[in-house]
Amino acid sequence: MEYVAGDDAQDHRFRFAAMASLCEVRLAGLPRALATAHAEIAIAEVRRIEHKYSRYRPESIVSRINTAAGSGEAVPVDAETSQLLDFAAQLHALSNGRFDITSGVLRRVWDFRAACVPTADAVAKAMAQIGWSRVQRTAEAVALPDAGMELDFGGFGKEYAADRAAALLERDGATSGIVNLGGDLRVLGPRPDGSAWSIGIQHPRAPEHTIASIRLARGALATSGDYERFFQLDGKRYCHILNPTTGWPVQGWQSISVVAPLCVAAGAMSTIALLHEDAAAVFLSDQQVAWLGVDRDGNVLRRGVSA
Amino acid sequence: MLVEVAVAATDHDNDKLSPPALTVGSITLAALALPGLIGVAHADGAPTEGVISVKLQSYDDRQPGLDRIRVIAPSLYVLAPVASNWALEASLVHNDISGASPRWHSAISGASHMSDHRTAGTARVTRYFDRISVGFGGAFSEERDYRSRAASADVRWSTPDNNTTLYLGTGLTRDDINPVNGVVENEHKRSNEFMVGATQAWTRNDLVQFNVGHVVASGYFNDPYKLVDKRPRERVQTTALARWNHHIEGLGVTVRSSYRFYRDSFGIRAHTATVEGVHPLGERFTLTPSLRYYTQGKADFYYDPVYDPAIGEPYPPGRPRLSSSDHRLSAFGAITVGAKLEWRIDSRWSADFKYERYEQRSNWRLGGNGSPGLARLRADILQIGFSRRF
Repeated sequence: MEYVAGDDAQDHRFRFAAMASLCEVRLAGLPRALATAHAEIAIAEVRRIEHKYSRYRPESIVSRINTAAGSGEAVPVDAETSQLLDFAAQLHALSNGRFDITSGVLRRVWDFRAACVPTADAVAKAMAQIGWSRVQRTAEAVALPDAGMELDFGGFGKEYAADRAAALLERDGATSGIVNLGGDLRVLGPRPDGSAWSIGIQHPRAPEHTIASIRLARGALATSGDYERFFQLDGKRYCHILNPTTGWPVQGWQSISVVAPLCVAAGAMSTIALLHEDAAAVFLSDQQVAWLGVDRDGNVLRRGVSA
Repeated sequence: MLVEVAVAATDHDNDKLSPPALTVGSITLAALALPGLIGVAHADGAPTEGVISVKLQSYDDRQPGLDRIRVIAPSLYVLAPVASNWALEASLVHNDISGASPRWHSAISGASHMSDHRTAGTARVTRYFDRISVGFGGAFSEERDYRSRAASADVRWSTPDNNTTLYLGTGLTRDDINPVNGVVENEHKRSNEFMVGATQAWTRNDLVQFNVGHVVASGYFNDPYKLVDKRPRERVQTTALARWNHHIEGLGVTVRSSYRFYRDSFGIRAHTATVEGVHPLGERFTLTPSLRYYTQGKADFYYDPVYDPAIGEPYPPGRPRLSSSDHRLSAFGAITVGAKLEWRIDSRWSADFKYERYEQRSNWRLGGNGSPGLARLRADILQIGFSRRF
């Protein structure tokens, strides 16, 4: 944890790396010693969730479920995991199958480092291993029917961690600050003087710059974009957000940022919006959320968010 | 899969503005079902973490040329959240007291050396509702010659913005007194206490509190170990307390000050002024120096001891109906200087060290009119404590 002084003596920023992202807990209106104590508890909660749900850690619950795929063995899960799986099931239903936590297998055929488009045959083979509806589960256990099937909580794990960390901070009495996990963030409350925080949105084509800003006094903000991992071939951009119903990268938006009461909701909606491609605006309007999008030509659209 | 956004939450907006409209769609509703995402933001909400702490306190007092009393008291405190809206607190303390009894002013079975031990405990259960919390408590204290039992109930109510908290409390104490010298047997003391208070967050940096307490007690108030000690069988006490905590933003220091007024039907009037400053030292330490001044006037029936080289111990002139030479009823002033260092070892463990020096002198009474003939009293209080959250 690295300490960075904020705007005044009562504004403290604690930076750390987690979930392959740069993260920050920012707390204002508190003495530093108290802020440090709060931040340590919040960061410990982020690490707990990272350890529990990372697919890169062999001992994580997600790895154990994936390792048991095709073995016929149901892996017991605790209540928290079961509730996250319920949430994944709802997202799958509410997105008409676009948000599917079994779609990570597509990463095996879309190699963004090699920068080549896979064959239709390879995509079809990977698609055969996708399907939330084939996951066998009860409230206490989960089993993947085919070897090679995978669950991936990456679609909401970071956002869930931001909300959990924020809830602990609120419980401990922190009323002003931000939990920011790699750009997916939850605002605890306004600055001590009552004003909103101004949050910059990364420029999708110029990583060092912001393209817009959003003012938030509370609630959460999450952004999905086509610029995290991608390759260009013959003038076309192929990004890492893959549609499980087609097996192909989404088109249409450079990024979409969503404002919602909870970060886990904002994150899911920004991803599902990208998966809706040209129908994103309709989807987001149905969800009654404020959002900011950067379309394929780089134009900024604002719906219900103030600059 | 979501991607990173550069977050430049650095531009300070001074203009007030409402957050974007947050309405609820189906995905938001689904997210609300996830566990542990909505924190309890109430300042006075039910605790969700437990605390266990162990403290060791040493009290050592002396008068010029005489080391008087030494008390070593280990204590244990436990706070445990029970279910979601209940909290249980309990504490236990055990004192071993040894040393000489106060010079000149008391006598115990002809011995000038005392040794006793005391065990005391409290338990309290609190039920938290939305804006109201209700607490019930019990306490006991057990010594060889003195037994005390107490029960209390209180209600706290907070306004919706949590800026104001009102407090109403009542308590009942019953003491049984059986002095070892047999001066009296099975004596009792009974008291009823009432308290009202209000705490107000005045500004972002100021918290003020007022409370008034009233105790009506009857029974045996005499000190059975004093040669001549006759006090009224009724005592009515009133206290008023004002507290002001002020946070100085530029320095990161919080100054806590308080003033307390006390009066009782024995005729004692007392004033206490306390000031302490909470200084964070880096990330892990907090230093809190404190200064307290106490002054009281004597009880109506307190008599100044007159020492006669021939007779020895002082007797009150004549045979008054009520009299006492207990130095605690005399007119005096006292100053306590201390400092407390808190060390936050990690997010669970913390330690604290406290040292206080207490000194009581007759001529430190406000206005200087202290009771004559009393030696000054000095005490050192040292406390070491460890606590762990669980």
